[in-house]
Amino acid sequence: MIARYRVRIPSPLRSYTRGHDEVIVTLPELSPDHGPPLRAIIAALDSSFPGIRFRMVDEQGKLRPHIAIFLGPKAVRDLGTPVAPDTDVMIVAALSGGD
Amino acid sequence: MDDTQLLRYSRHLLLNELGPDAQARFAAARALVVGVGGLGNPAAQLLASAGVGRITLVDADLVDLTNLQRQILFAMDDVGTPKVEAAARRLASINPEPVYVRVAKRVGPDELAALASDADVVLDCTDNFATRHAINRACVGARVPLVSGAAIRFDGQVAVFDARDADSPCYHCLFGEGEELEETRCATMGVFAPLVAIVGATQAGEALKILSGIGATLAGRLLLYDALRASWREMKVPRDPACAVCADRR
Repeated sequence: MIARYRVRIPSPLRSYTRGHDEVIVTLPELSPDHGPPLRAIIAALDSSFPGIRFRMVDEQGKLRPHIAIFLGPKAVRDLGTPVAPDTDVMIVAALSGGD
Repeated sequence: MDDTQLLRYSRHLLLNELGPDAQARFAAARALVVGVGGLGNPAAQLLASAGVGRITLVDADLVDLTNLQRQILFAMDDVGTPKVEAAARRLASINPEPVYVRVAKRVGPDELAALASDADVVLDCTDNFATRHAINRACVGARVPLVSGAAIRFDGQVAVFDARDADSPCYHCLFGEGEELEETRCATMGVFAPLVAIVGATQAGEALKILSGIGATLAGRLLLYDALRASWREMKVPRDPACAVCADRR
């Protein structure tokens, strides 16, 4: 079975996704109720859009501080968190603009 | 309230949730608006027109021609004038009742801490991460609610971080520090003019709710606005038990 994820891309990262604000990532499903870890979704995203992972994850494999990821409405920082199939993955970048 | 005030504030007085008690709380309230640009203009205008008693405006910049596309308090005659001066003048022409305190310089952590502890609510309308984190620290230290807004291109973010509430996260719980952050500046990336008014007005709405104690604030939630799709999303933001800024707060 193939697990499918809709990933929302924040505007600072859309240069990697050719301007798309939403992309679909597919991965082999591990089990119906225990999806792949979040880092696998990010890796799959990077294989389609090279370079995007480095903007989100540092050299130590941790989520960069100005990036937040939400699985559905829930914030997640642990990239080992399993992601159930069909979960919406929302990447949010801190915005500094206000002027 | 005198007759003029009854007329001026009548549309708020008509709301059962507000009424004369809330209006009196507005009049006694102190709001700190840091950043008097795209977000700070509409936010400050709505606080002033609602009759918030003292509004402190902090911004070191001068009005520039490029500001006039979206910074609705300013006019051609204001170009070259300190933003806090031009804004205070315009706000006083809309409502002369509040006291407008002008701080026309960059403020460091100590000054921010003093300004925050002398406020009932703080609105972060700034344009850089260093100041955002400094404001957050000041608000956590002073236990003053922070209404945070940001806008770039067609994307807006609004959240409330209420250090008085043991369950509420702070800005640092959501977005940390620790590395060179890429600034998203309107000057280089552009910004849709109505977006800053939408976000700034939402900030003012949250501030007025905090000051009057009505409704449910955005504490613990992050609102994301996509102006291209005209859609809002709401995300839950938990406290980070290991937060470098607020983990010790109870």
